[in-house]
Amino acid sequence: MGLLLGFIEITTSVWIQPLASGKPSRLMELHVWGEAFGLPSIDPECLAAISYLGYVVPQNEWSLIASNDVSVSPDYVLPALHHNGAWISGYLNIVRYLASDISPTPADGDLTEAQRADALAYASYLSSRGSALLSFLLYVSPSAWTELTRPAYSSLLRFPLTWTVPLKLRSAAIAKTEHLGLDHLAADIDPEDGSSESKTTAPVTATGFLRLPARPSIAEPARRFFLTLAELRGNKTYFFGDEKPTALDFLAFGYLRLLRVRTPHPFVERCMTRNHAGSRLIKFLDTMQKGVIQWKEDKIQDTLPWTTPVAQSVVAVTSRFVSNATEHVPGVGDSWKSWRGDGVKEPGSMRDPAQVLFAVGAAVAGLAAVGSAVVFKALSPFGNATHRWEAPKGGLYQFGDIGAIFNGLPGFDAPAAAPPVPSPMERDTVYQGEKVEVAVDVEP
Amino acid sequence: MSQSSAAAAASGPATTNSSLHTPAPAAPHRTAPRSDWFTIPEPLRLVFKRFPLVTYAPNELPVRSPSNRELPVLYVFASDQDVLKGLPSYNPSCLKWQTFLKLAGVQFRIASSNNHASPTGALPFLIPSSSPSDAASQTPIPSNRLERFALEQGSEKLADAAGSKLDAYQALLDHRIRNAWLYTLYLSPGNASLLSQLYVEPCSTSTVVRTTILHKLRRAAEAEILQSIGAPRVPPTALCIGAEQAFEALSAGLGSDKWFFGNSRPGLFDAAVFAYTHLLLDDSLDWIDTRLRDSLLKFPALAEHRERLLSRCWGQARE
Repeated sequence: MGLLLGFIEITTSVWIQPLASGKPSRLMELHVWGEAFGLPSIDPECLAAISYLGYVVPQNEWSLIASNDVSVSPDYVLPALHHNGAWISGYLNIVRYLASDISPTPADGDLTEAQRADALAYASYLSSRGSALLSFLLYVSPSAWTELTRPAYSSLLRFPLTWTVPLKLRSAAIAKTEHLGLDHLAADIDPEDGSSESKTTAPVTATGFLRLPARPSIAEPARRFFLTLAELRGNKTYFFGDEKPTALDFLAFGYLRLLRVRTPHPFVERCMTRNHAGSRLIKFLDTMQKGVIQWKEDKIQDTLPWTTPVAQSVVAVTSRFVSNATEHVPGVGDSWKSWRGDGVKEPGSMRDPAQVLFAVGAAVAGLAAVGSAVVFKALSPFGNATHRWEAPKGGLYQFGDIGAIFNGLPGFDAPAAAPPVPSPMERDTVYQGEKVEVAVDVEP
Repeated sequence: MSQSSAAAAASGPATTNSSLHTPAPAAPHRTAPRSDWFTIPEPLRLVFKRFPLVTYAPNELPVRSPSNRELPVLYVFASDQDVLKGLPSYNPSCLKWQTFLKLAGVQFRIASSNNHASPTGALPFLIPSSSPSDAASQTPIPSNRLERFALEQGSEKLADAAGSKLDAYQALLDHRIRNAWLYTLYLSPGNASLLSQLYVEPCSTSTVVRTTILHKLRRAAEAEILQSIGAPRVPPTALCIGAEQAFEALSAGLGSDKWFFGNSRPGLFDAAVFAYTHLLLDDSLDWIDTRLRDSLLKFPALAEHRERLLSRCWGQARE
C-alpha cells in the first residue's frame, strides 16, 4: 500500500506555503529505490513515479535520487518527492500533489466521477494484489531471491546494511503473500511452475490416510489479476481512453513491467504470454514504452535526470545497521521499535513513560539473561568431583596399574626415579643420594 | 534348594528334561492355572459386587447447546441477548456473512462464539443442519466456503458477482477501510471502552486476563495495519483520510443505483460494504472517536444503502 502517507505533509506544509506561481521555484527531488534488472527502480511504485514524473514534468525541473533509504522521508515510504521543503511520499500522493499544485494535470482531470472512483479502486487493487504477486515472484521464490533480487539489493546498499535490509524486505514480502494463501510455499516451491508439493505439512483424511494435496499454484491468482486489469482497459489504448494516459496507467506499467522481469523460472511471464488477457497487457506495456515512457531501457543513465545521493557517513550507516539488528533481539526488539516511534501513532505523540520503563526493564532483563548464561557456561558441569586424587606420574606409575605394582619392586626404583638431569654439576650428588637411600630401604 | 538349582543350571542340557517335567504332574490338579492371577479374591469380589452404589441420571445439556439441529448455525461474535433476537453481529467479517446468508435466503440461526472455537482460528464458521448419525454433515464450513454454501442452499437467486470490478472495489474495503476500522476500534484511545465492552469483557472477569487480552488485541491490530501499509510507522490521520477517499470512491461507484454494480438485487459486495457502514452508523455502539463515522456521513448514498439493506434483512426485528 504505502500510498496514504503523504497527506499530513500535503495538508500542513503545502497549504501553509502555497506556491507563488505555477512554476516550481526549486528543483523537485524524487527519492527512490535504485536501479535493478535493467530498470530504473526495483520497486513498482518508484518505477511508476519515475515514469509519471518523466511524462508530466520537464526534464530540467526534477532530479532523480536513488537514496535507497526509506528514512529520508518522514513517512518512511519511497518514492518520496522533496519539493520546497515538503515531503510527499507514496505514488498516489505524489500524483495528487503534482496535479493540484504544480502543473496542469495531463489526463486525470478529464475523468468522470465514476472513473475517478474506478481509478482509486484499481490503484488499491494493484498495490494489494499486484504487490503480492510481485513479492511472490521476486522475493518469496527462493531461486529468484538468491540469484536475482538479493544480489540486486547488495549492489544498491552499503556493506553492513546488506545483511539486514534485504532480509527485512523479504520477510515483509512473505507476510504480504499470506493474502494469496501462498506464504507456505516459501520453503519448498517447485521451481518449474511455481506450485508446491507441500512436503512439510501433509494433510490426512479422517481415516488417517495421506490426502493428496491440491497443488496450490501462482497461476490462478496471476490469471485473475491479468483478467481484472485487461477488462478495465477493454479495447482502449489506455485504461481510461485512447488519447492520454492517466496516473493509473503509469502505476499499472510499474507493476506489470516488474512482473515481466526474467527470473530463473519465469512462471508469471509464461502465464502472461499464454493467457489472452495477459498478452493484451503485454501489448499495453509496449504501447506505453513506445509512446509515453520517457526513459529507455538501454539508456537508463542518459534518459533520466540522475543525481548522486548525499553519501551517508559511516556513523549513519552503522547506526542504521545496529538499529535494524536490535529489532531482532528477543524480548527487546518490540520495545525498541516502539521506542523508535514505529507503530500507528501521531508523529508528535509523547512517548509513553510506562513504555520507557518497560523497554529499560526488558533491556536489563536481557542483559541479565546474557550475563547469567555466560556465568553458567563458565561453571564446571554439575556433579563433577571438586577434588581429584591421582597417583604420582613419575617412575613406572606412568604405565598404569601394572607400572604401580612394578614400581614397588626394589630393582626398578632407582632408574625410574632418576631425574632427567638438569645440570652436570648436580648429577653426581643426586644420583649418589638416591643410591644411598635405596640401599637403606632394601637392606633391613 | 538354591544349591541344587545352581548345580542343575551348571550341569546344563542333561537336566533340562527333568525341569520341564516337574510342573507337568501338577497341571491336572488345577483346572486353569492362569485363573489364579485373574480371579478376584472372594472378599474383594463381594465389595465390588455392591457397585455401582448409585446411578445418577444423565446430565442435562447446557442451556446454550443447540436444541435442534434442523437449522444451520452460524457462529459469530455477538452478545447473548443479540443472539436470541438474531440481531447483527458487531464484527465486520461476521456481519458480512450473516447478511449474505440472509440475502441468499438461507434459514439459519446464529450463536455467540469466539475465535478459539473456530476450526480455522477465525469467526465466522457455520455448522450445517445435521443428524447425529451422519458425521459428514457435521463438518464445519469456514468462511471462505460460505459463498458456495449460500448459493447451493439459498432460496433467493442472487446477483452475479460483477467479476473484475468487484475484485478491485474489494481491495478498497480490505485495505483502506479495514485499516481505518482497525485503528478506530482497537487503537484509538477514545474507543477503548467500546473495545473492551465488545471483545474483552465477555472473555473474563479477571483484571489481569483482561489487561493481557486488551494488549494482545491492540498489538495484533497494529501489526495488521503496518503490514497492510508496508511502512514501519503510520500516522492515524493518514488512515482516516485514506478511508474517506475510499468511501468517496464507493459512493461514486454506487452512484444513484440501489445496489452496487447496477444489480437489481443486493449481492456479496453489498453485504461487505454494509458490514462496515452499519457498524459505524449503528446507534447502539457508542463511538467516542467519531472521525471514521463522520467521514462516512459525508456520503449520504452509503448511509441510504445501509438503511435499505438493514430494512431488507432485519426489517421485522427492528420493530
